[in-house]
Amino acid sequence: MSSAPVSRPTIDDPAIAQVMNHLYAVISFEEGEEPDWQGLKDVFSKHARITRVTHEGTDHLEPTSFFEMTRNLVDLGAYTSFYEFEVARRVERFGEIAQVWSVYETRRNRGAREALGRGVNSIQLIRENDSWRVLGLLWDETHADSYLGFVNSPAGGHAHVQD
Amino acid sequence: MSKIRSFFSRGRKVQTVDRFLSDLERRGLIMQSAGSADGAQWVVDGQPLRNFASCSYMGLEQHPALVDAAVRALRTYGSNFSISRAYLECDLYRALEDALDRMMDRHVMVAPSTTMAHLAGLPVLVGDRDLCVIDQFAHASMYMATELISDVPIELLRHSRLDLLEKILIDAGEKYDRVWYLCDGVYSMLGDFAPFAGLKDLLTRYPRLNLYVDDAHAMSWTGRHGRGAALTHLGESDRVVVAVSLSKAFGAVGGALAFPTQSQRERVRRCGGPMIFSGPIAPAGLGAGLASAELHLRPEFEAMQDELRERMELVRGGLEEAGLTLATDAETPIFVIHYDSALAAQNVVAALRDRGFFSCVSTFPAVPINKPSLRFTVSRHNSIADVKAMIETLVDVSTHTSPSVFGGTAPPPAPEEAEAEEAAAQSA
Repeated sequence: MSSAPVSRPTIDDPAIAQVMNHLYAVISFEEGEEPDWQGLKDVFSKHARITRVTHEGTDHLEPTSFFEMTRNLVDLGAYTSFYEFEVARRVERFGEIAQVWSVYETRRNRGAREALGRGVNSIQLIRENDSWRVLGLLWDETHADSYLGFVNSPAGGHAHVQD
Repeated sequence: MSKIRSFFSRGRKVQTVDRFLSDLERRGLIMQSAGSADGAQWVVDGQPLRNFASCSYMGLEQHPALVDAAVRALRTYGSNFSISRAYLECDLYRALEDALDRMMDRHVMVAPSTTMAHLAGLPVLVGDRDLCVIDQFAHASMYMATELISDVPIELLRHSRLDLLEKILIDAGEKYDRVWYLCDGVYSMLGDFAPFAGLKDLLTRYPRLNLYVDDAHAMSWTGRHGRGAALTHLGESDRVVVAVSLSKAFGAVGGALAFPTQSQRERVRRCGGPMIFSGPIAPAGLGAGLASAELHLRPEFEAMQDELRERMELVRGGLEEAGLTLATDAETPIFVIHYDSALAAQNVVAALRDRGFFSCVSTFPAVPINKPSLRFTVSRHNSIADVKAMIETLVDVSTHTSPSVFGGTAPPPAPEEAEAEEAAAQSA
């Protein structure tokens, strides 16, 4: 049997918290600005897969195409500002890999008081060269209305609501 | 900067647009029809609604001179004049274009619509060795026309970012014969003007810069003889082509291109695709257009513009006093308020409709996903009393459905609270 350390659902690991905070920070941007493109590249493993389930189908993306899609949405004016933040997180770590359920809320900018959207990100992290990076990012845009059901479910019940 | 292309396929975009618009249709907020209309009021599903959504800002579509002229033209020429303009045109075209020449101090060519004007003009105007730059929020009809000039490089520009445009001009150097910047004079979904002062400055400093401005929403209500915003600010330049609409504040039907030179006009008239094969404007529309142009040239037209301006100022002042923040400070008859969510914007529009006011919801893809909005307009049709009632109702509706729209200022008290406060003040 391996003696690799197993963590209970927690947000205590500061290194994991850091990469999660970074992920949400680099994708957010205010009016007249752009996402932090370099930061976005840094947060993902070069082997990452990004998968989004939408009403129109499922997109399976590599980091390059995910960055291209994001840049295209900004260039075409689909978003002129965007603020996404984490409202709850459940982390399970085994050695150099970790699974994160991350409940998020989006707003049209940092000053907005009401949500633009809500949902849950499923994130797989891997430690590469002593840094945690995102190896997998999945989210489902078709069930945004039921995200509260997830938060209150046994699986999501461990989620810790951030201050 | 980036090339003009989408990450998503055409079919995928259609699916997305269909989903967004189906939602709005289910809520009864789009795809409606009016049983009758007198300008000030539309009857929708049997409900009389005060019209705060029309693009006929000057309210000319009910003007007796236009209606009479349309009827005369109908009786003279019949319901249509069906032959390609390449062969023969109804002589009302010539009369209308002559009148528009005098209105705009330009060489004007009338087209079946502003969209058709773009489709006719851009492929003829833009040369093989030119570069095009289009504002990211330029009207969709101009994007459509860029499909016809896809053999030249086309760059997207962040909205009105002239610093980035200047960078493109510097980088372009002498590599291109001309650099065309395609923009709107008034952005219809945001209500703001093009940055005319900055554009004038760039025109002076960069001789290869040419502008193609869609001024459809600025026609008639602003400028001498209603020539619009672009020609008012940039009319002296011989490197500015302006597209206008005759179907909005002008009160008739069709579109037009205003050229700095007669040779440009003649070339587009001869070679612009829709000028050859597209159906001509029906005589009634041309008759109404000619009457409208003549009205624009009369001295009293300025007073009519002032009547609209009074209503615009009333709205702006009223909303500012109530603490409702408009999307732009631009003084246009288009008013846009951003809400935090699409649902909030939809609820405000639905509540206004319940209270007897027709306004529009603007959500993606008409506006960015992060800018779900209420969009309403004022026109000369709206009485001062109706404008005041609209402001009062909008403030009340926003207070109850989306108080965060008041931003940093405290929302006005709800009616019950106001009464309680008044009673408390009286007893004190």
